[in-house]
Amino acid sequence: MIEARGLSARVGTFRLDGVTFAVPAGSYGVVIGPAGSGKTTLLETIAGITPQTGGSLHLDGRLANVLPPEQRRLGLVYQHGYLFPHLSVEQNIAYGATDPDVPRAVATRIGAWDLRDRAVESLSGGERQLVALARALARRPSILLLDEPFSALDPRRRESTRRELRRIHREWGMTVLQVTHDFTEAGLLGDVAILLDAGRVLQSGKPEDVFRHPASPYVAEFLGAENVFAGTARVLPDDSPDWQPGIEPALGAGHHAVEFRSGGLTIYAVANTVENPGYAVIRAEEVLLSLEPQSASSARNHFRGRIAEISTLGALTRVSIEVEGSVLVAALTTRSAQELALAVGSDAYASFKAMAVHLC
Amino acid sequence: MPRSIASDLAALLGSLLFLFLVAPIAQLVATAGIQGGERLTTDVELRRALGLTAATATAATILGVLGGTPIAFFIERWRFRGRAVVAALLDLPLLIPHPVAGIALLLVLGRDSVLGQAALSIGLRIVGSPAGIVGAMLFVSAPLYLSGAREAFARVDRRFEAVARTLGDHRWRVFRRVTLPLSGRGLVAAAVVMWARAVSEFGAIVIITYNPKTASVLSYDRFTSFGLREALPVAAILTLLALLPLTALRALRYDRRPELDAGAAG
Repeated sequence: MIEARGLSARVGTFRLDGVTFAVPAGSYGVVIGPAGSGKTTLLETIAGITPQTGGSLHLDGRLANVLPPEQRRLGLVYQHGYLFPHLSVEQNIAYGATDPDVPRAVATRIGAWDLRDRAVESLSGGERQLVALARALARRPSILLLDEPFSALDPRRRESTRRELRRIHREWGMTVLQVTHDFTEAGLLGDVAILLDAGRVLQSGKPEDVFRHPASPYVAEFLGAENVFAGTARVLPDDSPDWQPGIEPALGAGHHAVEFRSGGLTIYAVANTVENPGYAVIRAEEVLLSLEPQSASSARNHFRGRIAEISTLGALTRVSIEVEGSVLVAALTTRSAQELALAVGSDAYASFKAMAVHLC
Repeated sequence: MPRSIASDLAALLGSLLFLFLVAPIAQLVATAGIQGGERLTTDVELRRALGLTAATATAATILGVLGGTPIAFFIERWRFRGRAVVAALLDLPLLIPHPVAGIALLLVLGRDSVLGQAALSIGLRIVGSPAGIVGAMLFVSAPLYLSGAREAFARVDRRFEAVARTLGDHRWRVFRRVTLPLSGRGLVAAAVVMWARAVSEFGAIVIITYNPKTASVLSYDRFTSFGLREALPVAAILTLLALLPLTALRALRYDRRPELDAGAAG
């Protein structure tokens, strides 16, 4: 278990300021944030390498504020590996091991044992990451801190290593905290997501909650939500407008029907808190696109607009539609886009459900 | 100024300085090198002086390494108030004239000083003895070791040490298993520089211990007593002796270094 309350640290002019989060025992936590947000400093503070200047840190229930790194029973893997260049790969893997059988077993599982006879200088970036991971695991830490540990691996190796690490994590009941800038990775691995920016936690919680309900427009944009509109909200009486039958249970559970105005756009949403929301966030994947009006759709929000841009990246196509002076982005499969025969300049209809709108 | 003229001028000035630095030494070795080699077999005083110089320089270097390594590591790794002042104080012996260093040492190690009297009480005479030579050599050359050792430690990325600590090593074990092996080459180079500087010291030694004579004092003594002709072979041998550590140093610097960064090779 990693529990940080108001954790603060300082490196030069950078400050980690009042960081609070918890990763339960045996869970997989993921720290996400832009470059320079303090992700590595956070890991180093938890590891006891960067001195803590404030707050409290509990590791597996023990107060660890002043514990030296060697007594924290954790492993740390840096993005660049930091393999000891004066030792062989095998010696690196076995460096901190207390049980002589573990290094070979764990290195074999993640595919690093075959590298044991190679010189450290001859390893590629990805191979260094594998060896560094094996070295940290060989000590069987109860907490594992990972700083972008798969960044230099090729996609196939990344996937298999990620899978094996997840397996080891479950078998050993290890608590893991991994830094990444890739939200897909966070969604795949994480039980807990922690969003960090400028040394502060912006939001933490289950990855799907953070993804679906960003706490601020900044978080929404950082997490890849293309449709973030600034505007004003107004609570509507529950019987107006004419909500679709599917919405009613949600309204009954303390939610409110909300009308959100942003420029010429009027967006209908359902929210449980409506305290001065200033932004409406709709993920591009939630926006449905058609060439004809969708009168039979259960979606509450319908717009007609002109296609301004179509960008295709592999199997995914993003379509920007100009609606009432604003731009709405829809994401759909490239095949669907081809079937619809979308063209820049032509008219299109966009729709999304009131439940797909997140107000913050 | 056109670029070609500037390049020509820079090449000319560089060549002149190179000649100025190399010509006297080359001339000295060419003139008296063979004679100096012959003297080694016949001149007992020269052999004794060379032996004393090598022994005292080695003793000073060992003391410098033993005391200087922890100081250099401490200054390099810990950020504390007054760190810059401490570092500057340790460099000071490099900046003062060496006879002044000798006079300062006399004040601390002389017969009338507390330290000198304490040493005498246990039968150790410092002034006028090899111990005084070691003291003078240590004083003027240890700052070079400290500077080189600090640079060697600075080259070791602290994250190697951080990783070692998370792998269960306490500070001293990290120093022994990681820091020392990674900085070893730089520390040896710094020790070689210190030894070479100690061998060539004259100003401080001549104040604190004229006799027994080191090679540098003997060279001066031959010059003042018998003239240039007698001083030349001694000077040439001393120059050749200085080439040994210089060669070792170049080998250490240009030999393949262990990779101290964490970057990927491929």
